[in-house]
Amino acid sequence: MSNDTSRPALEADPASLAKSPGRFAPLLSHPGLMTGAIVLVVLVIVAIGAPWLAPHSPLKTDLMAAFAPPSLTYPLGTDQFGRCVLSRLIWGSRVSLQVALSVVLLSLSVGTLIGAIAGYAGGWTERLLTALTDVLLAFPGFLLALAIVAARGSSLESIVLAVSVAYVPRVAVVMRAVVLTIKSRPFIEASHAIGMSHLRILFRHVIPNAMPPVIVIATVSAATAILAEAGLSFLGLGVQPPIPTWGNIISDGQTAIINHPLISVSAGLCIAVTVIALNLMGDGLRDTLDPQMRRQTGARMF
Amino acid sequence: MSRHLPRYLVQLLGTVIGVVTVTFFLMRAIPGDPALYMLGDYATSDSVAALRAKLGLDRPVIEQYLLFMQRAVTGDLGTSVVTGQAALTEILHSVPWSISLAVSGMAIAIAIGVPLGVISASRQGTWVDTAVMIVALGGISFPVFWIGLVAILGLSHWAGLFPTLGASSEKGLWTSLHHLALPALVLGVSVAAYIARLTRSAMLEVLSQDYIRVARALGVPERRILYRLALRNAMVPILAVISVTFAWSLGNAILVEVVFSRPGLGSTIMKAVLARDYQLVQAGLLLLATAVVLLNTTFDALYVVIDPRLRSR
Amino acid sequence: MTSVTALCQPPPLSLVASSGVSSEFALEIRHLRTTFPGPDGPVAIVDDVSLAVRPGEMLAVVGESGSGKSMTFLSALGLVPKPGRVESGEVLVGGRDLMRMRPEELRACRGSAISIIFQDPMSGLNPVFSVGEQIGEVLRAHRRISPAQAKTQAIDLLNRVQIPDARRRFDHYPHQFSGGMRQRVLTAMAIAHGPQVLIADEPTTALDVTVQAQVLDLIDSLRREAGMAVVLITHDLGIVARHADRMVVMYAGRLVEEGPVGEVFAAPRHPYTISLLRCIPHLDAPAGADLMSISGQPPLSGSVRQGCPFEARCYVGRGREECRGTRPQLEAVGSPAHLSACHFSQSLEEEEARA
Repeated sequence: MSNDTSRPALEADPASLAKSPGRFAPLLSHPGLMTGAIVLVVLVIVAIGAPWLAPHSPLKTDLMAAFAPPSLTYPLGTDQFGRCVLSRLIWGSRVSLQVALSVVLLSLSVGTLIGAIAGYAGGWTERLLTALTDVLLAFPGFLLALAIVAARGSSLESIVLAVSVAYVPRVAVVMRAVVLTIKSRPFIEASHAIGMSHLRILFRHVIPNAMPPVIVIATVSAATAILAEAGLSFLGLGVQPPIPTWGNIISDGQTAIINHPLISVSAGLCIAVTVIALNLMGDGLRDTLDPQMRRQTGARMF
Repeated sequence: MSRHLPRYLVQLLGTVIGVVTVTFFLMRAIPGDPALYMLGDYATSDSVAALRAKLGLDRPVIEQYLLFMQRAVTGDLGTSVVTGQAALTEILHSVPWSISLAVSGMAIAIAIGVPLGVISASRQGTWVDTAVMIVALGGISFPVFWIGLVAILGLSHWAGLFPTLGASSEKGLWTSLHHLALPALVLGVSVAAYIARLTRSAMLEVLSQDYIRVARALGVPERRILYRLALRNAMVPILAVISVTFAWSLGNAILVEVVFSRPGLGSTIMKAVLARDYQLVQAGLLLLATAVVLLNTTFDALYVVIDPRLRSR
Repeated sequence: MTSVTALCQPPPLSLVASSGVSSEFALEIRHLRTTFPGPDGPVAIVDDVSLAVRPGEMLAVVGESGSGKSMTFLSALGLVPKPGRVESGEVLVGGRDLMRMRPEELRACRGSAISIIFQDPMSGLNPVFSVGEQIGEVLRAHRRISPAQAKTQAIDLLNRVQIPDARRRFDHYPHQFSGGMRQRVLTAMAIAHGPQVLIADEPTTALDVTVQAQVLDLIDSLRREAGMAVVLITHDLGIVARHADRMVVMYAGRLVEEGPVGEVFAAPRHPYTISLLRCIPHLDAPAGADLMSISGQPPLSGSVRQGCPFEARCYVGRGREECRGTRPQLEAVGSPAHLSACHFSQSLEEEEARA
């Protein structure tokens, strides 16, 4: 103690006593995080098990039974073509999850790489990459996705591509900010000093340390991807009928909404539940992994 | 402040050029022959060739690009295939509708979102905080077009408070406002949810700072700490939130315009997309992106006004 | 607002005499206990702490990080961060118990009757308000004065803390001041209402040595001018020796030794204090001699529920039954003002010889 009066003493934080021991225990004890995770697991099971869980084929029409009210045969009733709404919702979950997963994988892998390189390299590389991302960021995300889908035609692939392209700059910006904070840490300087190559430092130290915010971003981008796909499908630019997606089910139900609101309302609720679950997970991860992250992963995610 | 002006203008110009470039290449990303695409069912080999020549599609890409840039500067953004009018004129017709929706939507969003975020932060952990955050979570999770449909169902159809259409051909300020109200409310509520969450984050961050602890320790009343000492510091991140959400809300505005059958930039672009009127889509995209860039630059300038630390740079 | 502030003025002598409340001390803390929730139940970060400071006296509170020295005074001011809470105890300022006050009354006392300066001047000032505005904020928190009066008084205070060119500096922002200057500004804010008690929580730890001396001299002169009682929380024994009248040594949330500075330095009567003093490097030690340190880490405050918390690292008591089993109480050793909490405080020399 008196040996070392040159550095200010860091007061032990009594509030940290309240946290449970173990690495995953704090994650498990966060109610929002657990709720979100459970809902998501259920959703994945429903999506995978659609062929067995759905009472009817989502494509089978029966015009005699159009707009049937909820019953044992049709738990949520039928739409204007006599298709079972529940079955369509169950199959619709597949599209949403596929889109979410693909967008996350694509936009995160490309975005984090660009952001990490920009943040780490500095100099002209950083300025160039930043200028490029700024240009892309000038386009509101949904609009850019819309334009790309309009250009390339409606299909699952083009939706994934469109939303990913819209999202990559947003991920890159956050990643760059995170990398900048990591770059200035003493252990990076130490790694230089012992002769580690930049590439090795980037992959061995910088990127792994940037993982916690990236995991949070993953949940947020999955949520945004689902909402974007729903929006595009609602506008008629997304996955084409008769393949059901929650977005185009809402659109289908729009004309009949006054007399048969259940169709659109139930599809909207499906979207909401999924997105809420993802957001709960994102919030929970932010809370438990590192309080610092709130600032980094907050505003720039649109 | 005047020192920074040249830097801002250069940045602005650079970004706008970038935007124009991206838009140009985006439209070129259409697979196949754009002329064929545009003519659709009416294509014959002669008409396709004629259109290609007219659009300059037979020239090298760089030449096309420079031509496009040159024309864009003079305001010639092409012609709408559907109406035959200049694309820019078409777009500009719909801009007032969109501006009124976007501005009123943002105004509602800020008026609801910021205070809720501040109150939530000041009462962190209490039932008020939890309740506001649950509602906000719902707001960001329900698709805005769904909220619009439910609003039409509930407030328009059942309660009869608002008209179902977002616009009417009748003239008159009151009628316009009456038709604007529900779309603006729907947009506003949806954006308010984001603003509330992010404002709360920003306030919590500020409230955890040392200088707030000092003020409290020296007996400054809690109200004063919150609404003067803390809020001023949170203004910069809150403004950043507002600027980012405004750009994002333009995407939501399209969906709202479609749900309420309200004319505007969004509807125009949508119709152009469905009609394969790609010049119009291009023009609309360009205008929107440029508007966003201008807005962001304005906000950047505002930060300098608010944060004294940025002034002496 | 004025009526609530009046609660923080010392009560009239007649009241004092009849109520038996002692006015000998500017600040008196009795059996203060603050707990935080822990994995095995509440942990006492401040474990039955009692101390007192007379007007005009400087009391040094010495201890390692985590010893509870800051938390004791945060508790006194009602500023314990959640999820901690003050479980019991009395805190008397000018004879009135802060722990019994309503929140609004307590707020009125903070900054006016009892004040505090924190450790880090770099983050203690609000970056978006001018220095003058911030002093004004504190002034107007407890007195109804006009902005013009606040300005005059603030400039006055800046002069008192020796900020040169005060009139111009009034409008400057914190980032335009150095660390030492900022600490002076924070000091000005703390003494703005002429408090009876000033807590200085490691006020110089984040500053350069030369600036340290200036800030401490400033606090000293303010103390003498106004007869203010000062509590100096520090881990720097050099500062204690130079400025403080009395000192208390804290370990793991408890007081282990207390007394006049001269006496404690000359004749420490607790193994912890002795070890600390031995750790101070001496200029006249032989070259190449090892630096002394106390091996091990201090336990988390309040986590040692039985016996003496220092036992595990104590050269006298390690492994001994009394030290493990029974908690030592503060008892007078030598003079009545010098107290130590050790079972072997009377026989330390023999114990050491034995070890």
